[in-house]
Amino acid sequence: MSGTLLLQQAINGLTLGAVYTLIALSFSLVMGILGILNLAIAELFMIGGYVGFTLIIAGAPLPVALLAGMLAAAALSLVIEKIGYEPLRNAPLITPMLSTLGFSIILQNLATNLWGSDPLQLPGDMLATRIALGEVSIGAMQLLVIGAAIVMVAALAFVIRYTTLGRALRAVAENRDVARLLGVRADRILLIAFLLSGLLAGAAGVLISLHYAAITPYIGVETGLKAIAVMVVGGVTRTWGALLAGPLIGLAEVATVAYGGSQIRDFVVYGLMILILLVRPQGLLGGARSDQGPRV
Amino acid sequence: MMLSVRGLTVSYGPIGAVHGIDLEIGAGEIVALIGANGAGKTTTVKAIAGLLPFGGSVTLDGTPLRPGAAERNLRAGIALVPEGRGILGRMTVEENLLMGTYCRTDRRAAAADLAGMYDRFPILADRRAGLASLLSGGEQQMLAIARALLSRPRLLLLDEPSLGLAPKMASFVFELVASLRADGLTVLLVEQKARHTLKIADRAYLLELGRVVTSGPARALADDPVISQTFLGGRPLAAEAPSGG
Repeated sequence: MSGTLLLQQAINGLTLGAVYTLIALSFSLVMGILGILNLAIAELFMIGGYVGFTLIIAGAPLPVALLAGMLAAAALSLVIEKIGYEPLRNAPLITPMLSTLGFSIILQNLATNLWGSDPLQLPGDMLATRIALGEVSIGAMQLLVIGAAIVMVAALAFVIRYTTLGRALRAVAENRDVARLLGVRADRILLIAFLLSGLLAGAAGVLISLHYAAITPYIGVETGLKAIAVMVVGGVTRTWGALLAGPLIGLAEVATVAYGGSQIRDFVVYGLMILILLVRPQGLLGGARSDQGPRV
Repeated sequence: MMLSVRGLTVSYGPIGAVHGIDLEIGAGEIVALIGANGAGKTTTVKAIAGLLPFGGSVTLDGTPLRPGAAERNLRAGIALVPEGRGILGRMTVEENLLMGTYCRTDRRAAAADLAGMYDRFPILADRRAGLASLLSGGEQQMLAIARALLSRPRLLLLDEPSLGLAPKMASFVFELVASLRADGLTVLLVEQKARHTLKIADRAYLLELGRVVTSGPARALADDPVISQTFLGGRPLAAEAPSGG
């Protein structure tokens, strides 16, 4: 394979990886605070994608479609928190996780009924613009996907690292009792975490549908769940870990398809996740083994 | 009375831990809760701070406190430094201190208080950019107390602040607690080191198996033969000079 093709595949892998990073951060926000995997995030990602995609096909400007996809996913995320998590917060961790699995299946069913099971396609002319970078070219949509993902990850990293809200999120994630003793309304912070998580998932959904120029109700399972692998590889609650692991998984996936065939793509991605769980369970950038601080 | 606790009961599921405790704290007092392990001291302060549901009543300056409302209680003026210090180890020292000002709306005064805290605890200023988990036990206790003070509480609850500290650092912590009186602070101090505690406290309550068995002025309790024998190793405080307050 030529160097040019390799570079082209790298650009494709990075685009995919940028989206994986966004979804992984969406999983990570809830996982870091609650210690549960919100399985419905994969379908929030799908619903956000459908809402944005539908608007784009209807002729809405991209920023409007992106925002609408984000808000739709965020609104559903809040519903999941209120109905699927809050009443079960004192139950064993597996209980709210099963509840999010239920939401996940309901959302997929909803999308199939609303939009049908056939893929929605983006008109070809929207994908025509390409920017030449020497011998390789990058599609305008790819550039948009990578650019938007970088802006959003940077914005999230800034909020978490430098703002009062970010400190409160981290405090609740580390030790909810101590955070409450410092005046943090943990329930409200949890809602904000679900809101941010939904916004990221929705954005990722719109961006991935632009990348593939198509969307189906099954994209959540096919693509969204791979972000769990990204989260595990990067370190479950590590922002920078997701930023590293997203492109890594994206590149691994694209390289697998290019060199080994698409039939072993998922084998490589999830195999990498299992390998990390076995040899470095805290992830590439994870520090301490524990994800939850001790209770007071 | 600033804090009034009446008939406090706390249970962990079906197991009762505190069985009808009454206690009062006046403004500016240092009041101690002493007793052996399992006496209900920590449970009592956690209930007052709002971390545990309780029966009975707790009022602060006459206003009833809702059970389990820690966030509200901090805003009402109650801060708890929990047993084990409750340091947020994945945050820096400065971030921990900033969390102490989380509820404050007077940003400028809060920044001035933070600078003042660094003057009071220079070691925290030196380590401000480092992870709090890397501090020594004594430094973590300083950080926990400094963080609690930054919320500008009226009532400070301290749960075993000397636990796990070297004797020299434990003495420093007791001197620090005694000095809080000069700041106009009211303190409820939970401790097993009864000797140090009774030296700096105004009054004390002795708890056993979730009940108050005796209470009174700290000096008088220290002279009680049973307490002296059980908690002070038979060596009364009378011969020793007060160390603070």
